[in-house]
Amino acid sequence: MTGGGKGSGAVFPVLAAALLGALALSAATGPVTVSPRAAIDALFRGAGDTGARVLFSLRLPRALLGALVGGALASSGVAFQALLRNPLADPYILGVSGGAAVGALTVALFLSADASPVLPLCAFAGAALSALGVFLLARRRSGVSPERLILMGVVVGAFLNAVIMLMVTLAPPGKIPGALYWLMGDLGLGTPRRVAVLFPYVALGTVVLYLLSRGLDLLLLGDAAAFQAGLSVERVKTATYLTASLLAGSVVAVSGLIGFVGLIVPHGARVLVGSGHRRLLPAAFLMGGAFLVLSDTLARAASPTGELPVGAVTALAGAPFFLHLLRRNGRRP
Amino acid sequence: MKPILSAAGVGFGYGDREVLRGVSIDLFPGEVTILLGPNGAGKSTLIRILSGILAPRDGAVLLEGRPPSAYRRREMARLLSVAGQDPPVDFPMTVRAYVGLGRFPHQGFFGGTSPEDAEEVERALAMSELAGLADRTLAEISAGERQRAAVARAIAQGARVMLLDEPTAFLDIRHRVAFYEIVTQLKETCGIAALVASHDLSLCAEYGERIVLLSGGTVAAQGRPEEVLTPSNVRAAYGVAVACDRNPATGAIRVTPLRGMPPAG
Repeated sequence: MTGGGKGSGAVFPVLAAALLGALALSAATGPVTVSPRAAIDALFRGAGDTGARVLFSLRLPRALLGALVGGALASSGVAFQALLRNPLADPYILGVSGGAAVGALTVALFLSADASPVLPLCAFAGAALSALGVFLLARRRSGVSPERLILMGVVVGAFLNAVIMLMVTLAPPGKIPGALYWLMGDLGLGTPRRVAVLFPYVALGTVVLYLLSRGLDLLLLGDAAAFQAGLSVERVKTATYLTASLLAGSVVAVSGLIGFVGLIVPHGARVLVGSGHRRLLPAAFLMGGAFLVLSDTLARAASPTGELPVGAVTALAGAPFFLHLLRRNGRRP
Repeated sequence: MKPILSAAGVGFGYGDREVLRGVSIDLFPGEVTILLGPNGAGKSTLIRILSGILAPRDGAVLLEGRPPSAYRRREMARLLSVAGQDPPVDFPMTVRAYVGLGRFPHQGFFGGTSPEDAEEVERALAMSELAGLADRTLAEISAGERQRAAVARAIAQGARVMLLDEPTAFLDIRHRVAFYEIVTQLKETCGIAALVASHDLSLCAEYGERIVLLSGGTVAAQGRPEEVLTPSNVRAAYGVAVACDRNPATGAIRVTPLRGMPPAG
């Protein structure tokens, strides 16, 4: 297993096919049966029956949203793990999730009756503010150490969690279930508009991270060794931090808190392509996208009324699968 | 001859704790300088200052006439490489990929690996006898092999000044000798200037042109091995009684610890 697929060019076509397959499966799954023929008719002639409308205005946007969210969470996880030199880091580790939740809940619970248009914006602002706060709290003259970042992230996260509980307790009773559902993370809000809102953030974030690949490789050496190998460590760390927070924050804003993807998909991707970020980032994006789309399909198939949050499925289905993957490659952490 | 790297009157402290005071050393092309000193003497701090990670509180460091802060990062890394920190084991990185990171200063930030980069990496792997382990991950090899990989990465960096912080700590006797042979080879063929922080009192006398003995944050002695490695210098710095004579086989200074601890002070 030592090669671990490193250097095998077949990985990317397989992963891309997996993502496309997951999208197709997701689009084909649901209470209304849509024949491929009807779908193609609707695509080329514009009009279509109910089934086609379900396909193009509900299922495909939802599947695409899943791919964007899963890919972005996995990419963000890869970046945080390199930044903190810690394979247990995830996109939520530095208080991004708590900040986003507080931002969104402030609007949803207290300010506006129908807040959906500004809700993602406020969630994003909350995420950005808390990420910035953690960064500034952890900053010292000598730079930003991973240990201080994690410590400050945990402290700020705990504080924000308390704020969330307080807010939910004080909220008007009728609004509590919706807020809790959003907190658990779901893709049911996958209207085309939300895909459009999220897409620029994910595109920008993943492209910037990809451009930082070489720097992320060097960050794994540790600050001192990366510096001595010629990296402008603080500049690369700041850019990575901001970009990964942007990705995670925008995802939380649109889909709530979906755990597990950003933590574990990077490990699976490393098993397939190794630690070099030029290959790891695209592999993690494809894997994360396919994984979340499949999880959402499973959630919808298991509970057609749509009560099962996708976040529960990612953990239920993902944990055993990745445990298997990690145990099989036991010598790798 | 002009030194390629020099520190003049360097002082440094962490907060109120003074770590280095008035340290002056010069490194010359084609010379191996050994940095000796007991644990906590300030060897690693000095290497961090020489490589530009820490700025000296007093005094100055000059690399080819310019302070480290005046260099662009990659420009400086093409001139000076460091092997010190242990390679990462928490992420599955192959030995070859790890050594390949040494080529970063020769590549664009967005650029790829050139055939020359690949050649230099294979050369460094071969010199360090790691070619057979190149496709293993860093977690799958021993601590000593990782230490050799760290040196190989510094070699792949292709710099004219190499700072090596206790590169032989985990190595068996064969690989210790091999390490000093590699440094000697680089000195003779590429004219590098090397600074090796070490606890190998006798081996370093065989290979080092000059020795700097650091004790309590100051330079206690520096010069040729026979000038520095005297019983009184070693006793003052390390607090052990030793006998110093010439190795009959090589003629180099030989330091042999004697039984019993001398009274403190």
